[in-house]
Amino acid sequence: MNAIFKRELRSYFSSPIGYVCIAILAALYGFFYFMVMAYGSSSYIPSVVYNTMFSFSMLVIPIITMRSMTDDQKNKTDQILLTAPVGVTAIVLGKFLACFVVFFGASTLGLLPAVAMSTFSSPSWGEILGNYIGTLLYGGAMISIGVFISSLTVSQIIAAIGTFAVSVLLMFIDNLASSISNAAASAVVDWISFSNRYNVFTRGLFSVPSLVFFLSVMAVFVFLTARRLESRRWS
Amino acid sequence: MVEVRNLTKRYGANLAVDQVSFTIEEGSIVGFLGPNGAGKSTTMNIITGYLSASEGSVTVSGKNTLDDPNEVKKLIGYLPEQPPLYLDMTVKEYLDFVYELKKASQPKKQHIEEICQLVKIDNVYGRLIGNLSKGYKQRVGIAQALIGNPPVLILDEPTVGLDPKQIIEIRTLIKNLGRNHTVILSSHILPEVQAVCERIIVINNGRLVADGATDTLAHDLSQDHRLIIRAEGPEREMLHAMEALEKVKEVHALGEKEPGAYEFSVETQPEEDVRRDLFALMVRHGWPVLGLKNTDLTLEDLFLQLTSTDTAAAGKGDN
Repeated sequence: MNAIFKRELRSYFSSPIGYVCIAILAALYGFFYFMVMAYGSSSYIPSVVYNTMFSFSMLVIPIITMRSMTDDQKNKTDQILLTAPVGVTAIVLGKFLACFVVFFGASTLGLLPAVAMSTFSSPSWGEILGNYIGTLLYGGAMISIGVFISSLTVSQIIAAIGTFAVSVLLMFIDNLASSISNAAASAVVDWISFSNRYNVFTRGLFSVPSLVFFLSVMAVFVFLTARRLESRRWS
Repeated sequence: MVEVRNLTKRYGANLAVDQVSFTIEEGSIVGFLGPNGAGKSTTMNIITGYLSASEGSVTVSGKNTLDDPNEVKKLIGYLPEQPPLYLDMTVKEYLDFVYELKKASQPKKQHIEEICQLVKIDNVYGRLIGNLSKGYKQRVGIAQALIGNPPVLILDEPTVGLDPKQIIEIRTLIKNLGRNHTVILSSHILPEVQAVCERIIVINNGRLVADGATDTLAHDLSQDHRLIIRAEGPEREMLHAMEALEKVKEVHALGEKEPGAYEFSVETQPEEDVRRDLFALMVRHGWPVLGLKNTDLTLEDLFLQLTSTDTAAAGKGDN
């Protein structure tokens, strides 16, 4: 797993893709923190910075995950991974973690403006860290979904568009919930909603159910990706 | 060392490998021979654990691929048809990665250096794999298979796409590797298998059609066992003398081929070698032997004969 993780991570930075994704997110974080400065109160940080960044991160994650499983199938490098003494779960975990570290790097860079602010002011670190942890959790869940989708196809474009579609769906799913009249269906849709789970963190609270929810999503999709990889041996 | 039993692989309704069984002893070089799409690669992919069999079992060194997949994978170095190279890495980075991936236990730097010298890639060690020529890529692929020093090497068409000089180098390399590895290599090029392998397994349409030592396969599979002898002397007397030999079944005169020299076709029992007796007979009578050859099929003939059955059905399977 270690070897795969290191290789994948390195491949993000031997091509522009890792730099571009991190640069885009870091620049956006910088821009929205600048907006907060313009409003003149750090109480705007959750609503102005993290609420908007939720959407932008959802758009960048497909770019991070699109090549994770597709390239191996296309270049037949999956043959070296699958004939090496490592399990399929270790392969998927290595790839998942590499994607996650890229996202983690970008999100952590997003804390820099807050650090700069705290030299002359006192932003609410509880809120900021709550948002940061929430970002990492829904990002991780979204990445696991992206990795799974990329294992279904050999085309990076299809993987990216597919993941993009799922993330857009997840962004608007609570609007969907409010327009469903059936209470049971509405509750289910509401339960799936990433943003509901995430919003708890934006209030500076640490929610164990949400933590469990996001970790479970990651576990389920890592598992599904591993099964998908395994199933190709049998087709 | 490697034991394959009743291996069958279906792709939907398509039968890629059909009830293939063989055993390979430790330290031998075995060639998988067959036309494109015969099921060679599929069989190799199943042995290495990349694909799973629909039926049948593979045992390497007493370990079953289904029960201990990771243990079996540690014993096998595999060069697939298309070398599994990451084009965005340098040779050094790639081999380091493979070393870690295979959890090799040899001293890292020394082990990788030795392999690079063996396959002669030490001069491109720091270059990006994507920029290497086909021949070098193939060698990096072989280097990758050697990492961790696995006792079994499986090489799928190792010389494809190389120039003649490189082909000879790689063949020599494989022969050297065969001294302390069990090597299975596949090819559709006959002379290659003949030059490198001690044993040949011929696969066609997913079925094992022949299996035997390289030197005797052609002889064993020939339908008839005849010798053509050309000797100088009286035709009738020579004919009778040869017919009188114990191991000879029948002799036909083929006529005068050179002034005073006659040719005969000598038919023998399948298991008998009559060449020494014939020579002794001719010497005894003072009839100079001008030529002696057997009419066993060449491997080329044999290959064509074995594989010339309808190959249209063998579509998928060689990937």
